[in-house]
Parts: sequence; structure tokens; C-alpha cells
Amino acid sequence: MDDHPRHSPVLVVEDDGLIRMDLADALSDLGLAVIEAGNADQALKVMDTLPAISALFTDIDMPGSMNGLQLAHLVASRNPACPLVIISGRYNPADGTLPQGAVFLSKPISERLLKRTLAALKLIAGDAR
Amino acid sequence: MFPANPDCGKLFNEMDWSGTPLGPREDWSVELKTLTSVMLGSLQPMLIVWGPHQTTLYNDGYAAMCGQRHPAAFGHSFRALWHDIWDAVEPIITDAYEGLGTSMDDIEFTMHRNGYPEETHFAFSYTPVRDPWGTVLGMFCACTEITTQVMVRRAERTQRERFRQVFELSPGGIAMLVGPNHVFDYANEEYYSMIGVGRDIIGKTVAEAVAEVVRQGFVDILDGVYRTGESFIARNMPIELNRGPDGEMQRRLIDLSYQAMRQEDGTISGILVQARDVTEPRAEEASRELLSHELGHRLKNQLAMVQAIASQTLRNAPDIASARQRLSERLAVLSAAHDTILEGGRGSSTVRQLVEQMTDLHDDPSAPRFLTSGPNLKIGSRPSLSLSLILHELATNAVKHGALSVPTGSVDLRWRVVLPEANRFEMIWTESGGPTVVEPVVKGSGSRLISAGLNGTSDGRAEITYAPEGLRCIVTADLESFQREH
Repeated sequence: MDDHPRHSPVLVVEDDGLIRMDLADALSDLGLAVIEAGNADQALKVMDTLPAISALFTDIDMPGSMNGLQLAHLVASRNPACPLVIISGRYNPADGTLPQGAVFLSKPISERLLKRTLAALKLIAGDAR
Repeated sequence: MFPANPDCGKLFNEMDWSGTPLGPREDWSVELKTLTSVMLGSLQPMLIVWGPHQTTLYNDGYAAMCGQRHPAAFGHSFRALWHDIWDAVEPIITDAYEGLGTSMDDIEFTMHRNGYPEETHFAFSYTPVRDPWGTVLGMFCACTEITTQVMVRRAERTQRERFRQVFELSPGGIAMLVGPNHVFDYANEEYYSMIGVGRDIIGKTVAEAVAEVVRQGFVDILDGVYRTGESFIARNMPIELNRGPDGEMQRRLIDLSYQAMRQEDGTISGILVQARDVTEPRAEEASRELLSHELGHRLKNQLAMVQAIASQTLRNAPDIASARQRLSERLAVLSAAHDTILEGGRGSSTVRQLVEQMTDLHDDPSAPRFLTSGPNLKIGSRPSLSLSLILHELATNAVKHGALSVPTGSVDLRWRVVLPEANRFEMIWTESGGPTVVEPVVKGSGSRLISAGLNGTSDGRAEITYAPEGLRCIVTADLESFQREH
């Protein structure tokens, strides 16, 4: 695996510090640069300081002025090409509630599923099956 | 000679009438002769009371009503026969002698005609008998046994009463409507409590009595059932009823059925209404569903947390054996923190309980190393799990590398609500008396877990300062989110 990130960073938005830390570790182990945010409001501030992000990973239930779904819709409207990964222990979102093309993952996420998802989104090389 | 009345016929023939006020039979009036012959020829119970002395003659049918008083009563005064109920009998026999007939619908006798005491019922008519000049000579009485009819009526009444009780005892509301305009004929208690206790509905149409249901379409449905005979059955039907204590409108959910009731010829005569207020049970079901959804969510978040702790432990462990030990300790701490949450119900954990759980494990009561102080502050479930873990990691590190690794070292642990705004929680862990502290080059899993902060809080932070005289850790969070239940 390439030790040097080749892309803009991926943004991980999750209010649970432990889970965020672990996801960020797993993503950087796979060679991605990772920026963390504890809620949607922080995420928007972080994005204002960056030229681009290569993907958004966001939890749904979070404190603040908007939840992860609303954040994902906002990001999708600003940059339709940005890959979106929505993560939650609560919802199996019904069709139409996710932005188009967004991937839903249910907590907890296995490493295998994470790799497959990243490959499918062309964030890492590998088999997307 | 009198096959219809062998017993009384024999008495009649053998009696020495000349010794009675009636005198010898051959001197009797034609009216008395005719009536006695009718009486003794009849299977119907009959009675003759004759002359000013009210001499009494009767046939076998009537004898059965006299019980033990027969045969002694035959040919004697009417008063002697019914002396015990004379107060009741005297006025009607007097009326008869004054020319007034009386009929009585239902007189009850206990009879022994079948060898055992038996309740019987008779209808009587006392008829005055006059001579051609109009003088009353006596009274003639024919009786009709109506025991069977009385028993049938009674059985019907009993059955009606039983059905009424069935309706009253039914846990659901029941009402009966009659006619094309749906007039309330009956409603049980439960029906009243459903539509509003004390409403006056019997004899009124549904549209008059429960006017609020008209615009909700219920009368249209009733019309349909009455017209077609097809039942209407619905579950969880929203309805607005003026059932409040002051007749105010309430929204309820009911299970409802309307069924046509038919007469013998098949024509529809009314509608049976069965209804049950299911507002509360449905609300309970919904909240149970929500709760199980919530539990599922919590469980998945817990698993994600355990996954993070496990992978952090494994990622930074020098070897499998120590990873295994640290992981099991960390899971034990989470489990203990869960116990605290569960013991007193959600939201009952306090910071002090979590601190005590940590000192129970790491302090020595005979030579205390911890100095703890702080208010008994409530803490939400999610932050309580994080705080337990942070305290555990700090203590483990202190025992291994810090102040608790030497006999002279100690830990000062204090927490407070930060004044003056009183909107932040703060906890300060200060070690002293230990070896000189040097900031580690590579952070271990413990300090990484600590840096994850307080889960569920907004703006929660946990910062470690590696001061040479002792490690210091400050944990802070917004107080409202620190104490909130999610």
C-alpha cells in the first residue's frame, strides 16, 4: 500500500470519538489522508478550509444544527461527484432519503466491507466485489 | 257416576246434605243443581260457593289446590277453607256476593299432585250466580292452570337477563340500533364509557345522540349496512368523540364492527354495534416498537464502540498476551459502567459512582493513594461509558509508569461544575510523587482512548499534559450534553 496519500483527504464525521478514531485509523491504514469532524457544523467549517475532499464518511445521528443525512445532501448539492458514505446503527434508510449514489453502511463496519466499499468508490485499488 | 271427578263425586254423593245449610239435594235450586253437575263433569278445576253461609263445593281439580285441607273442607264454609289468607280472599268473595265478578291472572299454589311439592299457577274468575230475579245466590269459579305459560315466561325473562349480563360483562362496547334511522335501543356500560359517560342516547337516533360522528361519515356507513346487510368491520379507526369530562372532543382509535340484525322473515330490523377503544394499547405497541428500535440502535453503537476499543488495543499492543489482558480489562470496565446505568434505571449514574468503581479496583483502602473530591453529579449513559474508560486508562498508566508505580506517589482527582456560567463539567487528574514524567514518543492505546474524549457530549475534550512532576489530565465537556440521556 502506498504510504503517501494520492488524493485530497477524506472527511470523517462522527460524534463518537472512539468510533471516529478507529474509522480514521482504518482509512489511513489503507493509504488515505483523513480529516476528522465531530459533527456536521464542524465538518462544514473544515470543508471551508480545504480546496476539496475526496469523499465524505458521515454518521447520521449527531448533535448540532443538522444531522449526517442533511450534511450529505448539502455536500452532494455542492459537489455531485463527491463519493458519499452514510453510516448508522439506527436507520436502514428508505429509498429516496439518501442522496443519489450514496452508499449506506450499518454499524459496526467490518474491515472487509470497508475495503470493498472504498474499492467500489475507486478510492483505493482492489476488488469491489 | 262422575268419572271426571271420582274423588269429589264420591264425597258429593255420600254427603248428608240435609245436615248442611244447603239442605237436602232434592230441595236445591235449579241453578245449584246445574252448576254442581257442570262442575263434577269438568276436568277443569271448578269451585262453587253457595248460600249466605258460603258453603263450599269443588271438584278434583280444585281439591288438588286445597292440599291437606281436602277432604275436610268439602261442604263447609269458604272462610274455614281459606282462613289463613282470608284477608285477601274476603274482599273478592264479598264482591261476588254483591254482584261483582273478579278475575285474577296468576295465583301461585304449591301442589302435591305428583307426589312432591310443586309450584303451580292458576288464573281465576269469580262469577256471581243470580236467580231469575237478580238476587245473588252464590259464586261460581272456573280456574285455568297457567303454570306452563308462567314457566316459559320466566325462562324467557331469565334468558333475557342472562343475555343482558353477557352484554354488560363484555369487555367491548356494545350497542343495539333499531330502524332505518339507527335509534339506540340498548348500550352497555363500556359503550357509554367509550362515547362519554352520562350521555343520554337511548331512544335517540345516532345522528341526534352522537352528533359529532355524522360529519365523520359513520352514519353513512350505518345506512349502508342497514340497506345491504353487509357487515362493516374496521380496525384502528380514528374517531373524534365528545367524550371529555366537559363534553370536549377527543381523538381516539377504535376497533369497530356494524352487523345487520334480522327479523324472523329475514328483513333487517337494526344494527349491532361492537366497538373497542384501542387508543392506549396501540400507543403502547408503538412505544414498544420504538423502544426495541432504540435498543437495536444502542446495541449496534455499543458493538461499534467495542470494535473500536478492540482494534485500538490490538493495533498498539506489543504482543497478543498483553493485548488480550488489556482488552478484557477494558471490556470489564465498560460492563461495570453498564451495571451502574442499569442499577438505578437510565440516567441515574453519577460521577462519584464511576470514580468509586475505579478506586475500588486500583486503590488500597488501608493505604489510600487517591484523594478524590467533587459533587455527586448526574451523568448521561453515553458519557458515563467514556468517563469510566478514561479513568481506567489513567489509573492503569499511573500504576505502570506514573505516580502509583512507586510507594510515595499519589493521585489527586477532583471534578466540578465550572463557575460562574455553570455550563461546563471539568475533571482534573493530577499525579505527584512519582518518577519524573517524560512525554512518550509513541502514544499507547491508553492515551489514544483517552483522547477520544467523552462520547455523546458536545465540545468534550480530554487533554493530557506530561508535566515532569506528574502527569495531568483535564476532561471537560458542555454540562447539558454531559448530563443528557440520548
